[in-house]
Amino acid sequence: MKGKNMKRILVACGNGVATSTVVASKIRDYCKDKGVDVKTKQCRMIELHDKADDYDLVVTTGKFNDPDIKTPCIMGISLLTGIGQDKTLQQIVDALK
Amino acid sequence: MDVIVNGIYAAFQAILSAGAYVMLPLIITILGLIFRLKFSRAFRCGITITCGFVGINLLVNLLKTAVTPAASAMVSNIGLNLEVTDVGWGAISSITWASPIVGFLVFEILGINILMFILKATNTMDVDIWNYHHMMIAGILVFFVTNNFVLALIATALMAVISFKLCDWTQPLVENFFGIPDVSLPTVSYLSSIIIAAPLNWVIDRIPGLRDVNINIKNVQKRIGFLGDPMILGFILGVAMGVLAWMPWDKAFLTGVNVAAVMALMPKMTAMFVEGLMPISQAAQDMASKRFGGRALSIGLDAAVVVGNSDVITTALIMIPVTILLAFILPGNRMMPLADLAVVTFRVAIIVALCRGNVFRSILVSIPVMAAILYAGTAAAPYLTALATSTGLQFDGEIASMAGPSLTQTAIVFWSCISANPWLAIVILIAVFALVWYVVEKKIGMEKIQAYASQGQQA
Repeated sequence: MKGKNMKRILVACGNGVATSTVVASKIRDYCKDKGVDVKTKQCRMIELHDKADDYDLVVTTGKFNDPDIKTPCIMGISLLTGIGQDKTLQQIVDALK
Repeated sequence: MDVIVNGIYAAFQAILSAGAYVMLPLIITILGLIFRLKFSRAFRCGITITCGFVGINLLVNLLKTAVTPAASAMVSNIGLNLEVTDVGWGAISSITWASPIVGFLVFEILGINILMFILKATNTMDVDIWNYHHMMIAGILVFFVTNNFVLALIATALMAVISFKLCDWTQPLVENFFGIPDVSLPTVSYLSSIIIAAPLNWVIDRIPGLRDVNINIKNVQKRIGFLGDPMILGFILGVAMGVLAWMPWDKAFLTGVNVAAVMALMPKMTAMFVEGLMPISQAAQDMASKRFGGRALSIGLDAAVVVGNSDVITTALIMIPVTILLAFILPGNRMMPLADLAVVTFRVAIIVALCRGNVFRSILVSIPVMAAILYAGTAAAPYLTALATSTGLQFDGEIASMAGPSLTQTAIVFWSCISANPWLAIVILIAVFALVWYVVEKKIGMEKIQAYASQGQQA
């Protein structure tokens, strides 16, 4: 079954490198614990407009709003501050169901 | 005292002569151990970072090889001297972390933050160790130029204090305009723009007519959104340089492909660098927040969290071609903007917040800010190039970026500390900053800043 239910998450931050790395690794660890098969890719928020629609879920490390994007977006800043982190992680898992 | 200083200096020299590829894993492993990572994890971090560094090194080389012939031909053909190549912030940060004194500077900045926090001189607890490189580059460059460790410590301290204060003062903008409470952003690449932007915005507010202009610019993302893709942007710029160098079409096309490749691959290499550093940054964060986090009024985060704002993206997309144009027309500029065009968002984010989302005014203010970055990058290029070469990067010609000594704040600290009379310059700098501190907190007051910021509140 592996691969078939694989969910693709696009994690976006300012430069597609720093904070998205932290957030992506936390999402992968949490999903692994919950038995959800995910693959994460990182990019910059400026690229979301063109790339977001190829993914099941978008997680941003900051506020982001683009009415043209149809993929659900979750703001993951709590994964950086640590405040409310588990709630956001659960929200991410729920969104993938 | 002399014995100790000489001893430390001798130790540095010994590590330094082994080269960055040997030094980097050692430094990072030690840092990891200090922040209580397991040895195997810490060592893995060190090796991962070094591999990222090797990759960045290869790309800087490729970029220089690809654009140097075009850049030199542009000089002889049309007298356009843009021989200083913008290799990007990733390369500069990797050079920073590869410095032998980096271990001291990390703890110096952390110590200054904790001290200021205890003395209530700052509300920010900056646990974003990764972005310390923006503050440390000043000290590392000063150490490289002067060989004076004390001056390097002072330069880093100045960077830290200025960053934490600017970060406190601009926190209301983050809270109100970007809608992120309890967070402040001590990322220098983002903060530094305020030094030029705040006075300029104040002036514009006093010019009748101009102060009321607010052109609503729509659909920028649809029309020039492709400029936000570094690969496509790199290709266009490479081909354009080839054409201006009067190369045959295939050579111009090839230059485009090479620049595109560097722009597309650089973030991947930098990501590897970050991947290695993040466990250490996280460990440091856990340690610091366990002791002080509960009391922090604002948590210092990477400015990456605010650059997704649509007005910021719009302003940045417009500023990309404007910055290239500036590079071509500004007399005396020798820096060719390339890799860091991908992160213009960071340089303009605070301007957009200050202008409360007025894109027209944001662009007006961004122009001198970006011009200052180009000039400071040009001026510091010889030093940065020499530093990069000393850590093992190899290339022809000179390099710069839109980070490091190109940023206004870093440039002010760097040039003060290496001036003919550094002690006098440092005293003047401290006096000026103390005056600004007094004006902002006592004359204007944080309540007024809070009120200004909340007026610009977005729906």
